[in-house]
Amino acid sequence: MSATKRRTENPAQSRPRRNTRAGQTESFVDLIKLHRRIASGSASRLLQTPASSLVTLFVVAVALLLPALLFGLNSNLTSLLAGFQDSAQVTLYLQEGVSEADGQEVSDGLLTRRDIEDTHYISSSQALDEFSAASGLEGLLIEMTANPLPGAIVLTPADVSPLAVDELARQLQELPHVDVVQVDSLWLQRLAAISNLVSAIGSVLAVIVILGLFFVVGNTIKLAIESRKAEILVIKLVGGSDMYAARPFLYTGLLYGLGGGILASLMQAIVLTTFNSNLEVLMQLYESDFQLRSFGIMSALLIVVAGAAIGWAAALMASLRHIRAINP
Amino acid sequence: MIKFDSVSKRYADGQEALSDISFEVSRGEFAFITGHSGAGKSTLLKLILAMETPSSGQLIANGVNLNRISAKQIARHRRQIGTVFQDHQLLHDRSVYDNVALPLEICGYQPNDAARRVRAALDKVGLLKKEKSFPEALSGGEQQRVGIARAVVNRPSIILADEPTGNLDPALSAEVMKVFQQFQSVGVCLLVASHDAALIERLNCRTLVLDGGKLLADQKPRTLA
Repeated sequence: MSATKRRTENPAQSRPRRNTRAGQTESFVDLIKLHRRIASGSASRLLQTPASSLVTLFVVAVALLLPALLFGLNSNLTSLLAGFQDSAQVTLYLQEGVSEADGQEVSDGLLTRRDIEDTHYISSSQALDEFSAASGLEGLLIEMTANPLPGAIVLTPADVSPLAVDELARQLQELPHVDVVQVDSLWLQRLAAISNLVSAIGSVLAVIVILGLFFVVGNTIKLAIESRKAEILVIKLVGGSDMYAARPFLYTGLLYGLGGGILASLMQAIVLTTFNSNLEVLMQLYESDFQLRSFGIMSALLIVVAGAAIGWAAALMASLRHIRAINP
Repeated sequence: MIKFDSVSKRYADGQEALSDISFEVSRGEFAFITGHSGAGKSTLLKLILAMETPSSGQLIANGVNLNRISAKQIARHRRQIGTVFQDHQLLHDRSVYDNVALPLEICGYQPNDAARRVRAALDKVGLLKKEKSFPEALSGGEQQRVGIARAVVNRPSIILADEPTGNLDPALSAEVMKVFQQFQSVGVCLLVASHDAALIERLNCRTLVLDGGKLLADQKPRTLA
Protein backbone atom coordinates (compact mmCIF):
# COMPACT_ATOMS: atom_id res chain seq x y z
CA MET A 1 0.00 0.00 0.00
CA SER A 2 1.40 3.37 -0.85
CA ALA A 3 2.13 5.94 1.76
CA THR A 4 -0.32 8.37 0.24
CA LYS A 5 -3.10 5.86 0.44
CA ARG A 6 -2.23 5.03 3.99
CA ARG A 7 -2.30 8.68 4.82
CA THR A 8 -5.96 8.91 3.91
CA GLU A 9 -6.68 6.14 6.36
CA ASN A 10 -4.39 7.49 8.98
CA PRO A 11 -5.00 11.18 8.76
CA ALA A 12 -2.90 12.42 11.60
CA GLN A 13 0.29 10.43 11.82
CA SER A 14 2.60 11.51 14.58
CA ARG A 15 5.10 12.88 12.10
CA PRO A 16 4.48 14.34 8.67
CA ARG A 17 4.96 12.03 5.75
CA ARG A 18 6.47 12.97 2.50
CA ASN A 19 4.35 12.68 -0.57
CA THR A 20 6.57 10.10 -2.18
CA ARG A 21 6.73 6.56 -0.96
CA ALA A 22 8.36 7.90 2.14
CA GLY A 23 11.38 5.98 3.24
CA GLN A 24 10.79 3.13 0.84
CA THR A 25 13.74 1.79 -1.06
CA GLU A 26 14.07 3.87 -4.13
CA SER A 27 17.56 3.59 -5.45
CA PHE A 28 19.32 0.69 -7.02
CA VAL A 29 22.29 1.32 -4.72
CA ASP A 30 20.13 0.70 -1.66
CA LEU A 31 18.85 -2.49 -3.16
CA ILE A 32 22.40 -3.64 -3.81
CA LYS A 33 23.33 -2.75 -0.25
CA LEU A 34 20.39 -4.69 1.11
CA HIS A 35 21.24 -7.78 -0.92
CA ARG A 36 24.88 -7.53 0.00
CA ARG A 37 23.85 -7.52 3.64
CA ILE A 38 21.63 -10.57 3.20
CA ALA A 39 24.36 -12.36 1.25
CA SER A 40 27.00 -11.67 3.86
CA GLY A 41 24.55 -12.83 6.53
CA SER A 42 24.10 -16.11 4.67
CA ALA A 43 27.84 -16.45 4.20
CA SER A 44 28.57 -15.90 7.87
CA ARG A 45 25.95 -18.52 8.74
CA LEU A 46 27.76 -20.99 6.50
CA LEU A 47 31.00 -20.13 8.26
CA GLN A 48 29.39 -20.76 11.63
CA THR A 49 29.20 -24.45 10.76
CA PRO A 50 32.38 -24.84 8.71
CA ALA A 51 32.53 -28.64 8.77
CA SER A 52 29.06 -29.36 7.46
CA SER A 53 29.26 -26.47 4.99
CA LEU A 54 32.50 -27.86 3.65
CA VAL A 55 31.02 -31.33 3.25
CA THR A 56 28.09 -29.94 1.26
CA LEU A 57 30.46 -27.81 -0.79
CA PHE A 58 32.59 -30.84 -1.54
CA VAL A 59 29.58 -32.95 -2.56
CA VAL A 60 28.43 -30.19 -4.92
CA ALA A 61 31.95 -29.89 -6.34
CA VAL A 62 32.37 -33.62 -7.00
CA ALA A 63 28.93 -33.78 -8.56
CA LEU A 64 29.84 -30.93 -10.91
CA LEU A 65 33.28 -32.36 -11.62
CA LEU A 66 32.07 -35.68 -13.07
CA PRO A 67 30.11 -34.37 -16.07
CA ALA A 68 32.64 -31.57 -16.51
CA LEU A 69 35.44 -34.11 -16.91
CA LEU A 70 33.41 -36.21 -19.32
CA PHE A 71 32.55 -33.22 -21.46
CA GLY A 72 36.18 -32.19 -21.33
CA LEU A 73 37.30 -35.66 -22.38
CA ASN A 74 34.86 -35.56 -25.24
CA SER A 75 35.94 -32.16 -26.46
CA ASN A 76 39.54 -33.39 -26.48
CA LEU A 77 38.54 -36.53 -28.32
CA THR A 78 36.71 -34.46 -30.92
CA SER A 79 39.70 -32.21 -31.48
CA LEU A 80 41.95 -35.24 -31.69
CA LEU A 81 39.63 -36.75 -34.30
CA ALA A 82 39.56 -33.52 -36.27
CA GLY A 83 43.33 -33.60 -36.41
CA PHE A 84 43.36 -37.14 -37.78
CA GLN A 85 40.51 -36.59 -40.17
CA ASP A 86 42.48 -33.92 -41.97
CA SER A 87 44.83 -36.67 -43.03
CA ALA A 88 42.08 -39.12 -43.98
CA GLN A 89 43.12 -40.95 -47.13
CA VAL A 90 41.58 -43.35 -49.59
CA THR A 91 43.79 -45.77 -51.49
CA LEU A 92 42.72 -47.25 -54.84
CA TYR A 93 44.59 -50.40 -55.81
CA LEU A 94 44.50 -50.83 -59.58
CA GLN A 95 43.93 -54.12 -61.35
CA GLU A 96 46.94 -56.12 -62.49
CA GLY A 97 48.17 -55.27 -65.95
CA VAL A 98 46.99 -51.69 -65.97
CA SER A 99 49.70 -49.74 -67.74
CA GLU A 100 51.47 -46.81 -66.14
CA ALA A 101 49.89 -44.44 -68.67
CA ASP A 102 46.38 -45.77 -67.96
CA GLY A 103 47.00 -45.47 -64.22
CA GLN A 104 48.18 -41.88 -64.55
CA GLU A 105 45.14 -41.13 -66.68
CA VAL A 106 42.73 -42.52 -64.08
CA SER A 107 44.55 -40.51 -61.41
CA ASP A 108 44.38 -37.28 -63.40
CA GLY A 109 40.74 -37.96 -64.27
CA LEU A 110 39.89 -38.18 -60.56
CA LEU A 111 41.35 -34.73 -59.99
CA THR A 112 38.44 -33.19 -61.87
CA ARG A 113 35.98 -34.49 -59.27
CA ARG A 114 34.83 -31.92 -56.74
CA ASP A 115 34.78 -34.42 -53.89
CA ILE A 116 38.48 -35.15 -54.25
CA GLU A 117 41.05 -32.75 -52.98
CA ASP A 118 44.24 -34.32 -54.32
CA THR A 119 45.52 -37.50 -55.95
CA HIS A 120 48.90 -39.13 -56.13
CA TYR A 121 49.61 -41.98 -58.55
CA ILE A 122 52.08 -44.64 -57.52
CA SER A 123 53.00 -47.02 -60.33
CA SER A 124 53.73 -50.66 -59.51
CA SER A 125 57.48 -50.16 -60.08
CA GLN A 126 57.52 -47.09 -57.86
CA ALA A 127 55.69 -49.09 -55.23
CA LEU A 128 58.29 -51.83 -55.46
CA ASP A 129 61.12 -49.33 -55.10
CA GLU A 130 59.52 -47.74 -52.09
CA PHE A 131 58.77 -51.10 -50.55
CA SER A 132 62.27 -52.43 -51.02
CA ALA A 133 63.74 -49.23 -49.62
CA ALA A 134 61.47 -49.28 -46.65
CA SER A 135 61.66 -52.98 -45.89
CA GLY A 136 65.35 -53.52 -46.55
CA LEU A 137 64.60 -56.59 -48.64
CA GLU A 138 66.30 -55.32 -51.83
CA GLY A 139 68.25 -58.53 -52.33
CA LEU A 140 65.21 -60.74 -52.17
CA LEU A 141 63.19 -58.56 -54.49
CA ILE A 142 65.89 -58.48 -57.17
CA GLU A 143 65.52 -62.20 -57.50
CA MET A 144 61.80 -61.93 -58.23
CA THR A 145 60.98 -62.16 -61.90
CA ALA A 146 57.66 -60.30 -61.77
CA ASN A 147 56.57 -57.30 -59.74
CA PRO A 148 53.80 -58.52 -57.40
CA LEU A 149 52.69 -55.02 -56.36
CA PRO A 150 49.79 -53.33 -58.11
CA GLY A 151 49.73 -49.65 -59.08
CA ALA A 152 47.86 -47.43 -56.64
CA ILE A 153 46.29 -44.03 -56.40
CA VAL A 154 46.32 -42.33 -53.01
CA LEU A 155 43.72 -39.61 -52.78
CA THR A 156 42.61 -37.09 -50.22
CA PRO A 157 38.87 -36.59 -50.07
CA ALA A 158 37.52 -33.04 -49.95
CA ASP A 159 34.94 -33.97 -47.33
CA VAL A 160 36.48 -36.10 -44.61
CA SER A 161 33.31 -36.94 -42.70
CA PRO A 162 32.86 -40.72 -42.45
CA LEU A 163 29.62 -40.68 -44.46
CA ALA A 164 31.09 -38.71 -47.36
CA VAL A 165 34.20 -40.86 -47.45
CA ASP A 166 32.08 -44.03 -47.54
CA GLU A 167 30.01 -42.66 -50.39
CA LEU A 168 33.14 -41.65 -52.30
CA ALA A 169 34.64 -45.10 -51.80
CA ARG A 170 31.48 -46.73 -53.14
CA GLN A 171 31.59 -44.61 -56.29
CA LEU A 172 35.31 -45.18 -56.84
CA GLN A 173 34.76 -48.92 -56.68
CA GLU A 174 32.73 -48.65 -59.91
CA LEU A 175 35.56 -47.05 -61.89
CA PRO A 176 37.36 -49.06 -64.60
CA HIS A 177 40.80 -50.46 -63.73
CA VAL A 178 40.06 -50.17 -60.00
CA ASP A 179 40.51 -53.40 -58.07
CA VAL A 180 40.19 -52.56 -54.39
CA VAL A 181 39.27 -49.37 -52.56
CA GLN A 182 40.71 -49.12 -49.11
CA VAL A 183 39.45 -46.49 -46.71
CA ASP A 184 41.72 -45.76 -43.76
CA SER A 185 38.88 -44.42 -41.74
CA LEU A 186 37.22 -47.37 -40.07
CA TRP A 187 39.12 -46.83 -36.86
CA LEU A 188 38.29 -43.13 -37.15
CA GLN A 189 34.64 -44.03 -37.33
CA ARG A 190 35.00 -46.16 -34.25
CA LEU A 191 36.70 -43.34 -32.42
CA ALA A 192 33.95 -40.96 -33.52
CA ALA A 193 31.36 -43.41 -32.23
CA ILE A 194 33.18 -43.62 -28.90
CA SER A 195 33.28 -39.86 -28.79
CA ASN A 196 29.53 -39.72 -29.36
CA LEU A 197 29.02 -42.30 -26.65
CA VAL A 198 31.13 -40.31 -24.20
CA SER A 199 29.12 -37.23 -25.05
CA ALA A 200 25.84 -39.10 -24.53
CA ILE A 201 27.04 -40.48 -21.19
CA GLY A 202 28.08 -36.96 -20.27
CA SER A 203 24.62 -35.63 -21.05
CA VAL A 204 22.82 -38.33 -19.09
CA LEU A 205 25.24 -37.89 -16.21
CA ALA A 206 24.70 -34.13 -16.30
CA VAL A 207 20.95 -34.63 -15.96
CA ILE A 208 21.42 -37.08 -13.09
CA VAL A 209 23.89 -34.74 -11.43
CA ILE A 210 21.56 -31.75 -11.73
CA LEU A 211 18.77 -33.80 -10.15
CA GLY A 212 21.16 -34.97 -7.45
CA LEU A 213 22.31 -31.42 -6.76
CA PHE A 214 18.70 -30.35 -6.44
CA PHE A 215 18.23 -32.97 -3.75
CA VAL A 216 21.50 -32.22 -1.96
CA VAL A 217 21.09 -28.45 -1.93
CA GLY A 218 17.34 -28.71 -1.40
CA ASN A 219 17.80 -30.93 1.62
CA THR A 220 20.50 -28.71 3.08
CA ILE A 221 18.21 -25.72 2.67
CA LYS A 222 15.36 -27.67 4.22
CA LEU A 223 17.46 -28.38 7.31
CA ALA A 224 18.53 -24.73 7.48
CA ILE A 225 14.90 -23.66 7.31
CA GLU A 226 13.95 -26.13 10.02
CA SER A 227 16.61 -24.73 12.31
CA ARG A 228 15.40 -21.19 11.73
CA LYS A 229 11.71 -21.93 11.92
CA ALA A 230 11.14 -19.57 14.84
CA GLU A 231 12.70 -16.72 12.92
CA ILE A 232 10.61 -17.38 9.83
CA LEU A 233 7.52 -17.47 12.03
CA VAL A 234 8.30 -14.04 13.44
CA ILE A 235 9.03 -12.65 9.98
CA LYS A 236 5.68 -13.92 8.77
CA LEU A 237 3.91 -12.50 11.82
CA VAL A 238 5.18 -9.02 11.13
CA GLY A 239 4.19 -9.18 7.48
CA GLY A 240 7.20 -10.64 5.67
CA SER A 241 6.25 -12.46 2.49
CA ASP A 242 7.44 -15.99 1.74
CA MET A 243 9.87 -14.53 -0.77
CA TYR A 244 11.28 -12.17 1.86
CA ALA A 245 11.79 -15.05 4.28
CA ALA A 246 13.35 -17.12 1.48
CA ARG A 247 15.99 -14.56 0.49
CA PRO A 248 18.75 -15.60 2.89
CA PHE A 249 18.25 -19.23 1.88
CA LEU A 250 18.49 -18.33 -1.80
CA TYR A 251 21.87 -16.82 -1.06
CA THR A 252 22.84 -19.93 0.87
CA GLY A 253 22.00 -22.06 -2.19
CA LEU A 254 23.79 -19.64 -4.48
CA LEU A 255 26.89 -19.72 -2.28
CA TYR A 256 26.90 -23.52 -2.17
CA GLY A 257 26.64 -23.64 -5.97
CA LEU A 258 29.23 -20.93 -6.48
CA GLY A 259 31.69 -22.42 -3.98
CA GLY A 260 31.11 -25.93 -5.32
CA GLY A 261 31.67 -24.68 -8.86
CA ILE A 262 34.93 -22.97 -7.97
CA LEU A 263 36.11 -26.08 -6.12
CA ALA A 264 35.10 -28.25 -9.09
CA SER A 265 37.06 -26.15 -11.59
CA LEU A 266 40.09 -26.26 -9.31
CA MET A 267 39.82 -30.04 -9.08
CA GLN A 268 39.39 -30.23 -12.84
CA ALA A 269 42.57 -28.24 -13.34
CA ILE A 270 44.43 -30.58 -11.00
CA VAL A 271 43.12 -33.70 -12.76
CA LEU A 272 44.06 -32.32 -16.17
CA THR A 273 47.55 -31.29 -15.18
CA THR A 274 48.13 -34.78 -13.82
CA PHE A 275 46.77 -36.40 -16.99
CA ASN A 276 48.60 -34.09 -19.32
CA SER A 277 52.08 -34.99 -18.17
CA ASN A 278 51.28 -38.69 -18.59
CA LEU A 279 49.62 -38.10 -21.92
CA GLU A 280 52.57 -36.15 -23.24
CA VAL A 281 54.78 -39.21 -22.88
CA LEU A 282 52.22 -41.37 -24.66
CA MET A 283 51.73 -38.89 -27.45
CA GLN A 284 55.47 -38.54 -27.99
CA LEU A 285 55.57 -42.29 -28.51
CA TYR A 286 52.93 -41.84 -31.21
CA GLU A 287 54.91 -38.93 -32.64
CA SER A 288 51.94 -36.67 -32.06
CA ASP A 289 52.14 -33.19 -30.62
CA PHE A 290 48.59 -33.54 -29.33
CA GLN A 291 48.04 -31.92 -25.96
CA LEU A 292 45.04 -32.08 -23.68
CA ARG A 293 43.23 -28.85 -24.13
CA SER A 294 43.36 -27.38 -20.70
CA PHE A 295 39.76 -26.40 -20.36
CA GLY A 296 40.65 -22.81 -19.80
CA ILE A 297 38.90 -19.88 -18.24
CA MET A 298 35.71 -20.30 -20.24
CA SER A 299 35.00 -23.83 -19.15
CA ALA A 300 35.92 -23.07 -15.55
CA LEU A 301 33.55 -20.13 -15.71
CA LEU A 302 30.86 -22.35 -17.18
CA ILE A 303 31.17 -24.80 -14.27
CA VAL A 304 30.98 -21.98 -11.74
CA VAL A 305 27.99 -20.34 -13.41
CA ALA A 306 26.19 -23.66 -13.83
CA GLY A 307 26.86 -24.53 -10.20
CA ALA A 308 25.60 -21.17 -8.98
CA ALA A 309 22.47 -21.36 -11.13
CA ILE A 310 21.65 -24.89 -9.97
CA GLY A 311 22.30 -23.99 -6.34
CA TRP A 312 20.08 -20.95 -6.54
CA ALA A 313 17.26 -22.72 -8.35
CA ALA A 314 17.36 -25.67 -5.94
CA ALA A 315 17.26 -23.29 -2.99
CA LEU A 316 14.35 -21.40 -4.53
CA MET A 317 12.30 -24.55 -4.97
CA ALA A 318 13.11 -25.93 -1.54
CA SER A 319 12.70 -22.71 0.41
CA LEU A 320 9.41 -21.65 -1.15
CA ARG A 321 7.95 -25.09 -0.50
CA HIS A 322 9.15 -25.37 3.09
CA ILE A 323 8.55 -21.74 4.05
CA ARG A 324 5.01 -21.90 2.73
CA ALA A 325 4.41 -24.77 5.14
CA ILE A 326 5.46 -22.71 8.16
CA ASN A 327 2.44 -20.88 9.48
CA PRO A 328 1.97 -19.08 12.73
CA MET B 1 -11.54 -0.42 11.05
CA ILE B 2 -12.19 -3.79 12.66
CA LYS B 3 -15.62 -5.31 12.21
CA PHE B 4 -16.75 -8.64 13.62
CA ASP B 5 -20.12 -9.75 12.31
CA SER B 6 -21.46 -12.90 14.04
CA VAL B 7 -18.00 -14.40 13.96
CA SER B 8 -17.48 -17.89 15.39
CA LYS B 9 -14.32 -19.91 15.58
CA ARG B 10 -14.38 -23.64 16.11
CA TYR B 11 -11.12 -25.55 16.15
CA ALA B 12 -10.72 -28.90 14.48
CA ASP B 13 -11.20 -30.68 17.80
CA GLY B 14 -14.70 -29.20 18.02
CA GLN B 15 -13.84 -26.72 20.73
CA GLU B 16 -15.62 -23.44 20.16
CA ALA B 17 -13.19 -20.64 21.00
CA LEU B 18 -15.46 -17.82 19.91
CA SER B 19 -19.16 -17.87 19.26
CA ASP B 20 -21.27 -15.32 17.51
CA ILE B 21 -19.10 -12.30 18.22
CA SER B 22 -20.21 -8.96 16.79
CA PHE B 23 -18.57 -5.62 17.44
CA GLU B 24 -16.84 -2.83 15.62
CA VAL B 25 -13.83 -0.77 16.57
CA SER B 26 -13.27 2.34 14.54
CA ARG B 27 -10.29 4.48 13.68
CA GLY B 28 -8.79 6.31 16.62
CA GLU B 29 -10.53 4.06 19.08
CA PHE B 30 -8.79 2.34 22.00
CA ALA B 31 -10.52 -0.77 23.25
CA PHE B 32 -9.58 -3.37 25.83
CA ILE B 33 -10.55 -6.99 25.55
CA THR B 34 -10.78 -8.60 28.90
CA GLY B 35 -11.85 -11.90 30.33
CA HIS B 36 -10.46 -14.96 32.05
CA SER B 37 -7.76 -16.91 30.35
CA GLY B 38 -9.38 -19.17 27.82
CA ALA B 39 -12.16 -16.69 27.25
CA GLY B 40 -11.07 -16.27 23.64
CA LYS B 41 -8.98 -13.10 23.78
CA SER B 42 -5.99 -14.55 21.98
CA THR B 43 -8.16 -16.28 19.38
CA LEU B 44 -9.84 -12.99 18.64
CA LEU B 45 -6.49 -11.30 18.03
CA LYS B 46 -5.33 -14.24 15.92
CA LEU B 47 -8.38 -13.86 13.71
CA ILE B 48 -7.58 -10.21 13.08
CA LEU B 49 -3.97 -11.13 12.26
CA ALA B 50 -5.22 -13.78 9.82
CA MET B 51 -3.41 -16.47 11.81
CA GLU B 52 -6.77 -18.19 11.95
CA THR B 53 -9.80 -17.90 9.71
CA PRO B 54 -13.34 -17.54 11.09
CA SER B 55 -15.48 -20.69 11.00
CA SER B 56 -18.53 -18.58 10.33
CA GLY B 57 -19.53 -14.95 10.25
CA GLN B 58 -17.74 -12.13 8.57
CA LEU B 59 -14.57 -10.39 9.70
CA ILE B 60 -13.26 -7.25 8.07
CA ALA B 61 -10.12 -5.50 9.28
CA ASN B 62 -8.50 -2.51 7.66
CA GLY B 63 -10.80 -2.93 4.68
CA VAL B 64 -9.69 -6.50 4.09
CA ASN B 65 -12.17 -9.35 4.19
CA LEU B 66 -10.36 -11.90 6.30
CA ASN B 67 -12.72 -14.73 5.41
CA ARG B 68 -11.20 -14.87 1.97
CA ILE B 69 -7.58 -13.85 2.01
CA SER B 70 -4.67 -15.20 -0.01
CA ALA B 71 -1.21 -15.87 1.35
CA LYS B 72 0.15 -12.81 -0.43
CA GLN B 73 -2.61 -10.63 0.97
CA ILE B 74 -1.95 -11.96 4.46
CA ALA B 75 1.63 -10.63 4.39
CA ARG B 76 0.44 -7.24 3.12
CA HIS B 77 -2.37 -7.20 5.70
CA ARG B 78 0.01 -7.90 8.57
CA ARG B 79 2.29 -5.07 7.52
CA GLN B 80 -0.55 -2.67 8.37
CA ILE B 81 -0.90 -4.12 11.85
CA GLY B 82 1.50 -3.68 14.72
CA THR B 83 1.26 -6.59 17.08
CA VAL B 84 2.58 -7.00 20.59
CA PHE B 85 2.73 -10.71 21.37
CA GLN B 86 2.34 -12.15 24.79
CA ASP B 87 5.47 -14.25 24.26
CA HIS B 88 7.29 -11.30 22.62
CA GLN B 89 8.25 -13.23 19.44
CA LEU B 90 11.66 -11.60 19.20
CA LEU B 91 14.55 -12.88 17.10
CA HIS B 92 17.19 -13.98 19.55
CA ASP B 93 20.11 -13.85 17.16
CA ARG B 94 19.48 -10.21 16.30
CA SER B 95 20.11 -7.12 18.33
CA VAL B 96 17.32 -5.03 19.80
CA TYR B 97 17.88 -2.55 16.99
CA ASP B 98 17.58 -5.21 14.28
CA ASN B 99 14.48 -6.67 15.91
CA VAL B 100 12.72 -3.33 15.88
CA ALA B 101 13.96 -2.61 12.34
CA LEU B 102 12.51 -5.87 10.99
CA PRO B 103 9.10 -4.51 9.89
CA LEU B 104 10.84 -1.59 8.19
CA GLU B 105 13.25 -3.91 6.42
CA ILE B 106 10.34 -6.00 5.20
CA CYS B 107 8.69 -2.87 3.81
CA GLY B 108 11.94 -1.83 2.15
CA TYR B 109 12.76 1.34 4.02
CA GLN B 110 16.03 3.10 3.35
CA PRO B 111 18.59 2.40 6.08
CA ASN B 112 18.85 6.05 7.14
CA ASP B 113 15.13 6.52 7.37
CA ALA B 114 14.75 3.19 9.13
CA ALA B 115 17.41 4.14 11.70
CA ARG B 116 15.54 7.32 12.59
CA ARG B 117 12.29 5.46 13.04
CA VAL B 118 13.84 2.64 15.03
CA ARG B 119 15.50 5.08 17.44
CA ALA B 120 12.29 7.06 17.82
CA ALA B 121 10.38 3.86 18.64
CA LEU B 122 13.05 2.68 21.10
CA ASP B 123 13.06 6.10 22.71
CA LYS B 124 9.31 5.88 23.24
CA VAL B 125 9.69 2.67 25.23
CA GLY B 126 12.81 3.87 27.04
CA LEU B 127 15.23 1.39 25.50
CA LEU B 128 17.37 3.68 23.38
CA LYS B 129 20.47 2.72 25.34
CA LYS B 130 19.87 -1.01 24.78
CA GLU B 131 19.75 -0.99 20.99
CA LYS B 132 22.93 -3.05 20.68
CA SER B 133 21.89 -5.64 23.28
CA PHE B 134 20.46 -9.00 22.37
CA PRO B 135 17.00 -10.01 23.63
CA GLU B 136 18.40 -12.74 25.86
CA ALA B 137 20.33 -10.15 27.86
CA LEU B 138 17.15 -8.24 28.60
CA SER B 139 14.61 -8.72 31.36
CA GLY B 140 11.11 -9.91 30.55
CA GLY B 141 9.79 -6.39 30.82
CA GLU B 142 12.47 -5.04 28.53
CA GLN B 143 11.76 -7.74 25.94
CA GLN B 144 8.12 -6.81 26.17
CA ARG B 145 9.01 -3.21 25.40
CA VAL B 146 11.18 -4.22 22.45
CA GLY B 147 8.09 -6.00 21.12
CA ILE B 148 6.06 -2.83 21.64
CA ALA B 149 8.67 -0.74 19.82
CA ARG B 150 8.58 -3.19 16.93
CA ALA B 151 4.79 -3.02 16.84
CA VAL B 152 4.70 0.75 16.52
CA VAL B 153 7.82 1.40 14.42
CA ASN B 154 6.03 1.02 11.10
CA ARG B 155 3.22 3.40 12.16
CA PRO B 156 0.54 0.78 11.63
CA SER B 157 -3.11 1.63 11.23
CA ILE B 158 -4.08 -1.05 13.74
CA ILE B 159 -2.20 -2.02 16.89
CA LEU B 160 -3.02 -5.32 18.56
CA ALA B 161 -1.54 -6.18 21.90
CA ASP B 162 -1.84 -9.39 23.89
CA GLU B 163 -1.14 -8.71 27.56
CA PRO B 164 1.39 -5.99 26.71
CA THR B 165 1.85 -5.01 30.35
CA GLY B 166 1.98 -8.52 31.75
CA ASN B 167 5.66 -8.24 32.64
CA LEU B 168 5.78 -4.56 33.45
CA ASP B 169 5.60 -2.75 36.74
CA PRO B 170 2.82 -0.15 37.14
CA ALA B 171 5.06 2.79 36.23
CA LEU B 172 6.22 1.17 33.00
CA SER B 173 2.69 0.00 32.22
CA ALA B 174 1.55 3.56 32.45
CA GLU B 175 4.38 4.63 30.13
CA VAL B 176 3.43 2.00 27.57
CA MET B 177 -0.21 3.02 27.73
CA LYS B 178 0.83 6.62 27.16
CA VAL B 179 2.62 5.48 24.00
CA PHE B 180 -0.50 3.65 22.89
CA GLN B 181 -2.62 6.70 23.59
CA GLN B 182 -0.31 8.82 21.46
CA PHE B 183 -1.02 6.48 18.57
CA GLN B 184 -4.73 6.57 19.35
CA SER B 185 -4.65 10.35 19.14
CA VAL B 186 -3.27 10.17 15.59
CA GLY B 187 -6.04 7.87 14.43
CA VAL B 188 -4.63 4.41 15.06
CA CYS B 189 -7.11 1.77 16.13
CA LEU B 190 -5.92 -0.14 19.21
CA LEU B 191 -7.18 -3.42 20.58
CA VAL B 192 -5.49 -4.53 23.77
CA ALA B 193 -6.13 -7.85 25.46
CA SER B 194 -5.50 -7.54 29.17
CA HIS B 195 -6.77 -8.71 32.50
CA ASP B 196 -5.13 -5.91 34.42
CA ALA B 197 -8.39 -4.63 35.94
CA ALA B 198 -6.77 -1.68 37.67
CA LEU B 199 -5.17 -0.47 34.49
CA ILE B 200 -8.39 -0.82 32.51
CA GLU B 201 -10.29 0.97 35.21
CA ARG B 202 -7.81 3.81 35.31
CA LEU B 203 -7.60 4.32 31.57
CA ASN B 204 -11.36 4.44 31.19
CA CYS B 205 -11.52 3.01 27.68
CA ARG B 206 -14.12 0.99 25.90
CA THR B 207 -13.93 -2.58 27.20
CA LEU B 208 -15.08 -5.76 25.53
CA VAL B 209 -15.66 -8.51 28.07
CA LEU B 210 -15.29 -12.05 26.80
CA ASP B 211 -16.37 -15.14 28.67
CA GLY B 212 -16.26 -18.65 27.33
CA GLY B 213 -16.00 -17.38 23.78
CA LYS B 214 -19.02 -15.12 24.05
CA LEU B 215 -19.08 -11.35 24.12
CA LEU B 216 -20.50 -10.72 27.57
CA ALA B 217 -20.42 -6.96 27.60
CA ASP B 218 -19.30 -4.00 25.51
CA GLN B 219 -18.67 -1.29 28.08
CA LYS B 220 -18.37 2.21 26.73
CA PRO B 221 -16.06 4.59 28.58
CA ARG B 222 -17.68 6.40 31.48
CA THR B 223 -18.50 9.97 30.65
CA LEU B 224 -16.46 12.11 32.93
CA ALA B 225 -18.63 14.20 35.15
